[in-house]
Amino acid sequence: MGAFLSVNRLCKDYEGRRALRDVSFVLEKGDFLSLFGPNGAGKSTLLSIVSTLVSPGAGQVEVKGFDLMEEPEQFKKQLGVISHNSLLYNHMTALENLIFYASLYKVKDPGKTALELLRVVELYPRRHSRVGQFSRGMRQRLSIARALVNDPSLLLLDEPFSGLDQYAAAILTEQLAELRDKERTVIMVTHNLERGLNTATKVGILAAGRLVFMESRQDVDRTLFEAAYFKYARGAGPV
Amino acid sequence: MSIKRDQMAVIFAALLFGTAVYMVFLYAPTERVMGPIQKIFYFHLSCALLAFLSFFTAFVSGIMYLVSKDMKWDIRGLASVEIGLLFTTLVLITGVLWGRPVWNTWWTWDPRLTTSLILWFIYASYFILRSSVTRRDKRAVFCAVLAIVGFVDVPIVFLSARLWRTIHPVVIRAGSIDMAPAMITALLVALGTFTVLWGILLYQRTKTLGLAGRVGNLEKQLDGELL
Amino acid sequence: MRGFLLILRKDLHAEFRRPESLVSMVFFGFLLLVILNLAIPLGSEISPETGAGILWVAITFSSILGLSRTMSREKENRCIDGLLLSPVSIEALFCAKMAMNFVLMLIAQCSIIPLFFVLYGDSFLQSLPLLVLVVLLANTGFAAIGTLFSAITAGTDRNEALLPLLFYPLVIPLISITVKVSSLIFQGAAPGEYSSWLYVMLAYGCIFTGLGVLLLSHIVRE
Repeated sequence: MGAFLSVNRLCKDYEGRRALRDVSFVLEKGDFLSLFGPNGAGKSTLLSIVSTLVSPGAGQVEVKGFDLMEEPEQFKKQLGVISHNSLLYNHMTALENLIFYASLYKVKDPGKTALELLRVVELYPRRHSRVGQFSRGMRQRLSIARALVNDPSLLLLDEPFSGLDQYAAAILTEQLAELRDKERTVIMVTHNLERGLNTATKVGILAAGRLVFMESRQDVDRTLFEAAYFKYARGAGPV
Repeated sequence: MSIKRDQMAVIFAALLFGTAVYMVFLYAPTERVMGPIQKIFYFHLSCALLAFLSFFTAFVSGIMYLVSKDMKWDIRGLASVEIGLLFTTLVLITGVLWGRPVWNTWWTWDPRLTTSLILWFIYASYFILRSSVTRRDKRAVFCAVLAIVGFVDVPIVFLSARLWRTIHPVVIRAGSIDMAPAMITALLVALGTFTVLWGILLYQRTKTLGLAGRVGNLEKQLDGELL
Repeated sequence: MRGFLLILRKDLHAEFRRPESLVSMVFFGFLLLVILNLAIPLGSEISPETGAGILWVAITFSSILGLSRTMSREKENRCIDGLLLSPVSIEALFCAKMAMNFVLMLIAQCSIIPLFFVLYGDSFLQSLPLLVLVVLLANTGFAAIGTLFSAITAGTDRNEALLPLLFYPLVIPLISITVKVSSLIFQGAAPGEYSSWLYVMLAYGCIFTGLGVLLLSHIVRE
């Protein structure tokens, strides 16, 4: 069983600054990587490159042995992303949003999938309301549903817990645990040590564009890891 | 070392300009019908050809930037458009100066002048676009796209410029002006001189913009380290 | 093809639910038709050239209100990223947005052109079938460049205010050809007199559609 996702010597310059320097790591199918790091460490850049939104300056990303830049269509079908932005249309209803995205991914029965997901994120009663009228927490729940619409085998999460209300956070935690059990591969970028360590099978620290730490979760002692994280966070200056 | 070479190039261009002025005003005969105003034609045509050459280099730089995403092509594109717009402005001014005594009107919708005017608008909008984007990589992409689309537009602009209302039914074409052999020689010298000037401008401007970009990068890095 | 239809249907659906673009396009087009009436001397019959000029100034200036919105609509909540992350090809995205612009212009023209005939005399009415052909060809070119540049302006700091400044210089040749051909049609000229210009308009549409498809991925990707 080979690597599911391999990131190879990835570099990216952004506005004359090095956002990523020589980042390499490998994930097996079913791995859940929690990636920590101070602000500006390059975490979001890394996710954007893996999600094909940003082209790498140098290096490759391979998924199941296929180069990401050369065969993106196959890869995109299995990809789910939760980013800072909801990626939802305000003028459309919750149901319309999910059906639209499900159809883009050529999901078998978009209507059924959409309704099921609305039940999962507990927005079923509001399915015919426009997203523009939703509260922030409801939008975030819907964007979780949006990311799962194609039943992705690789899920990228950029600070999914930031600004989430308790209710939405509980739903997300539940979904993450389920994804891990279903052997989905996940990369989650976060500040939150508590949540990051809880679900992860692997943990990494990105500081100043370098991957300075990468271990299996069970080999990592919580207190020692926290100490290491704060050392790197401080090394990069006040956060 | 290279500064010395640059100075040599400037001195060479200055000498060439002296020669060109001599060729145009003293060596070439004065045109019978139009009189001395026809002298402006030597500079007018040279500017027009070099403006076109500038937009072509901007087009090539645009393609090269999109392929390579290397900032040096963005700088070359910017320098080309700057110089191209300068020469287009000169074409328009000399055209107007020529038109006043010859056609007895400041402006005529002659296809060549109209084309120059439309090109002036297209490439002037390049700078408006440039000033409206802060992120450097985005700015470079947008400007490259405009340089490419603008240049592809040129033949159609020229084709359609024939449709603009012409004040004078008979359009005087460059080819139909009676040209003495001495005039052709003077024209070639003027053209050569302007080409040298163009090369020096492009080179120097590219260098200056490149240095400005490097200073910007260093400042950013410094900020990053202080952060 | 599937992605193309899905995106086009979504945009049309949004437009018909709240026809912001269409209402402003038609309203502004009507306004222009009325204002441009000032250019005609009192009591005189308008010439075919003037008529064609007035018609197309009203159409092109009102169309900018619709063109600028097609891409900026995707900017809200970064929905454009949602499309780029999905398996839909960038070609399908460009074609869907261009088709949307084409349809918007066409619907607006369906009310601007009849009003033009009402205000400026129905002597031009017999030329309607040929005018439809010109409208279709012109719309292709406008939609192609409009889509490409509305993608650019959606990525700038100045947003929609920038589009007319970039769009009009590039479409001047298309506008001048369209006006010329329309005036020949209004005069009742033989098709042979302007058929070569129709090919130029067709070529213009094809060239800039091709360029748009090629260049859009550079514009929208980070």
